Amino acid sequence: MAIIRRVESRAKRITLWVMGLLIIVPGAYGFAEKMRQFILTLNTEEGAGFTIIPIANYFLIAGGMACLFGWAMCNGMFGNVEEPKYTMLDHERELDEQDGVDWSKQ
Amino acid sequence: MFETRAGIFLIAGFGFFILAFIVMAWVPIAIYQGEPELSVKELAEQGLTHEFIDLAERYPKQFKEHYGDVSEESFAAALKLGHKIYVGEACWHCHSQQIRPVSNEGRRWGGESYAEEYQNEFQRPVLFGTRRVGPDLIREGGRKSNDWHIAHFYKPTSVVPVSVMPRYPWFFDSDGYPNKKGFAIITYVQWLGSWHKNYPYWYNRGPALPTKTPEPPPGFEPTVDDEKPKTGVAMSDAETNAGA
Amino acid sequence: MAKATAIAAGNAGTGRIVDTDRPLVDEKLVLCFFIASLSYVLIAMLAGLLFSLQFLQIYPFANSEFFSPGRWRFVHTQGVAYGFIANAFLGALHWAVPRLTGNRVLSDKLSWFILFAWQAIVLATVVGVLSGEAQALEWGETPVWIDPVAQLGLILVAINFLTPILKVKGPMYVTLWYLIAAFIWTPLVYAMGNFLPEYVIGGSAAGAIGGLFIHDLVGLFVTPIGWGLMYYFVPIILKKPIWSHGLSLVGFWGLAFFYPLNGIHHFLYSPIPMFLQYGAVISTIAVELVVTTVIVNFFGTLVGRGDALRTNLSIRWFYIGMVFYFTTCLQCAFQVTLTFQKVIHFTDWVVGHAHLVMFGVFGFWILGMMTHLLPRLMKARDWYCNRWNHWHFWLSGIGLFVMFIDLMIAGLIQGFAWRDLAPWEDSLTFSTPFWKLRTLTGIAIVVGQCFFLMNVYMTWKHMRGAASTTPMPTPTGGGEPAIA
Ligand code: HEC
Repeated sequence: MAIIRRVESRAKRITLWVMGLLIIVPGAYGFAEKMRQFILTLNTEEGAGFTIIPIANYFLIAGGMACLFGWAMCNGMFGNVEEPKYTMLDHERELDEQDGVDWSKQ
Repeated sequence: MFETRAGIFLIAGFGFFILAFIVMAWVPIAIYQGEPELSVKELAEQGLTHEFIDLAERYPKQFKEHYGDVSEESFAAALKLGHKIYVGEACWHCHSQQIRPVSNEGRRWGGESYAEEYQNEFQRPVLFGTRRVGPDLIREGGRKSNDWHIAHFYKPTSVVPVSVMPRYPWFFDSDGYPNKKGFAIITYVQWLGSWHKNYPYWYNRGPALPTKTPEPPPGFEPTVDDEKPKTGVAMSDAETNAGA
Repeated sequence: MAKATAIAAGNAGTGRIVDTDRPLVDEKLVLCFFIASLSYVLIAMLAGLLFSLQFLQIYPFANSEFFSPGRWRFVHTQGVAYGFIANAFLGALHWAVPRLTGNRVLSDKLSWFILFAWQAIVLATVVGVLSGEAQALEWGETPVWIDPVAQLGLILVAINFLTPILKVKGPMYVTLWYLIAAFIWTPLVYAMGNFLPEYVIGGSAAGAIGGLFIHDLVGLFVTPIGWGLMYYFVPIILKKPIWSHGLSLVGFWGLAFFYPLNGIHHFLYSPIPMFLQYGAVISTIAVELVVTTVIVNFFGTLVGRGDALRTNLSIRWFYIGMVFYFTTCLQCAFQVTLTFQKVIHFTDWVVGHAHLVMFGVFGFWILGMMTHLLPRLMKARDWYCNRWNHWHFWLSGIGLFVMFIDLMIAGLIQGFAWRDLAPWEDSLTFSTPFWKLRTLTGIAIVVGQCFFLMNVYMTWKHMRGAASTTPMPTPTGGGEPAIA
């Protein structure tokens, strides 16, 4: 028996978005600010050496992450965002039941 | 895999990571090629410290046995071993080598740290440290006498009763004289800061120091934009002493 | 034992059928990793305890070069990071990855090879640092000649686990995302931290890299794996899906893009250009916000199942770990400010912080996972004695908490004493009572671990005894009911 899928309530979805934005926007702002300072430092004589390695690497790694994001999108991984949390439990239950672990008891 | 867009993304992604890996090794090499970084040999060529010569005079037999003559080579050898011990015995877990421009640290130890003084082989990896159980050591040279250090390394509580620094009896031979390690660590510790412009402002060496004009502590200024070589004093010292 | 086919059909659309006769999870391997991990935790904690005696001037082996306190401090940090945490994570991953993906790891042989190779690396490290060959890099003291081997090992681990993960086609569960990121970052971070400062860069530029390394080791190796495993274990133990998968993805991508550039704050006020130091401060605060999403999500999951904190010890380990995690992050947010740095840098405050992160958070999570999995891995029905596990929990929990508070206060006292130019000896005498308490809490923690180890041993022995009387022990039917 599969785990019951509940439609996410509207309130929850809204909370989610609001919270997501509240958190990510200042985060992104702080980060952009730092990036700007970093890049400004690149032009100064004493700072260049310190910054070029972290920056170059950061961009490469972030680029890699962005590609993974693209890969995930192409594979439709964000189609039904909430689905994996249920399938994961279903599998676990199946696997457990083969091992004789009973899920009806808590 | 290559046919789909997803596959391309995946491969590109990993391509980026591999590139990052390469850049990490290559870019710094390219940048720091021109950067002067002093080797141990060059550091030794800047002149022997007073304390090194003093050790040789005080323990002629033992010194001869372990290091031969007083020379730049033996000085370099002692520094190198001393640094290895400093790292290997985790001295840097209890002592920092970084004087910050805050919390009166400049006043306590004399002279805030500046970037250039870390441009040498011994600061690879850099020994800033993260914890100070004992005091900062980057200006330690000349602060205490060789005798003090010998007693201290043998049994710290004999000179500082509340000290929690470990004993290092294996820096000494069975007769209680410093052995190869003992000479090395004392040379290293006494060398720290010897490049500093006002080295060592608290330490009056008396007449053996013709080139040095001691500066009074209160007006003591650190140093970054100073033009004369940071090691001048130590060098002239050594010359005078060697000649004497 | 669970066979791979059974779930291949429902496997998030993979449709891939793996070898049907071999079990999905090699349970023996997981058990071996856990046992190795537990052995190291005991060694590493005893080493820490030993070092703490130096601070009370009662170090027992003061004349022995081999027992030089500093060298045993290396054993403490290295043992915890690479012996305890890394081994436990590898074990838990060998359990979680195949079960989440429905695919077996790339190669069982490789896994076993990694098990032995990793123990060899950690042992070589211990021998290396004890013979005075350490590398002057905090958390990376592994002697230089071991570094390349360890690097290769990390790459192999990454390949071994990425293969099953990348085979997954459908929407991916958040744990897998965290793991992908961790497997990519860890070898990179390791290379950055261990090779650059040694061979390529010197001076204070290397200091910046060193700071980044300490930070990233925690943030890009331990944190993603830790949270990834939490996202797996909490729902399956509560038998309840995570509150919001969407929010967990937000947390993940936030970490992926914001985190890797922090860390220079480890050397605030050092001769690294000041611009960079301010930058590090700001974006650390950004990361705090991302962390909040994760915390919200887990507590959202717990709502309605709060009783589990009482009834299930693993859940209690996990959630107390999360509370500590949040505390750590809060502390970070203050610590990275320049005002705080003036006082607390170089003091015991930092030591307390490190203990809170490594043991209070990741250590607790690992112990929770072990509490959940070990009986099953040993094919026992339950623990030999559940009461001992409670002792383990309370001794570790209280011990760690008191240690953390104690060191935090000691740190402030030291910081102010230094700033006020008190003679150095004063800062030592001021600290002594705190160091005494620290040693006591250390003893409590070690005793706690002993309870756990004893329980593991007794459970195993009991199981053995039961196995010899019952001819065919199966996971559920075989073993004699353990004393609960
Ligand atoms: C357990 C931590 C600890 C370790 C490890 C340690 N020290 Fe110390 N050290 C101290 C403490 C505490 C003091 C201050 C009390 C004293 O002078 O003994 C100190 C003082 C010193 C001093 C005197 C500084 C001064 O000017 O007063 C020197 C020099 C020194 N240590 C060198 C070393 C060297 C070299 C090593 C490694 C071989 C080392 N220490 C290892 C804790 C430690």
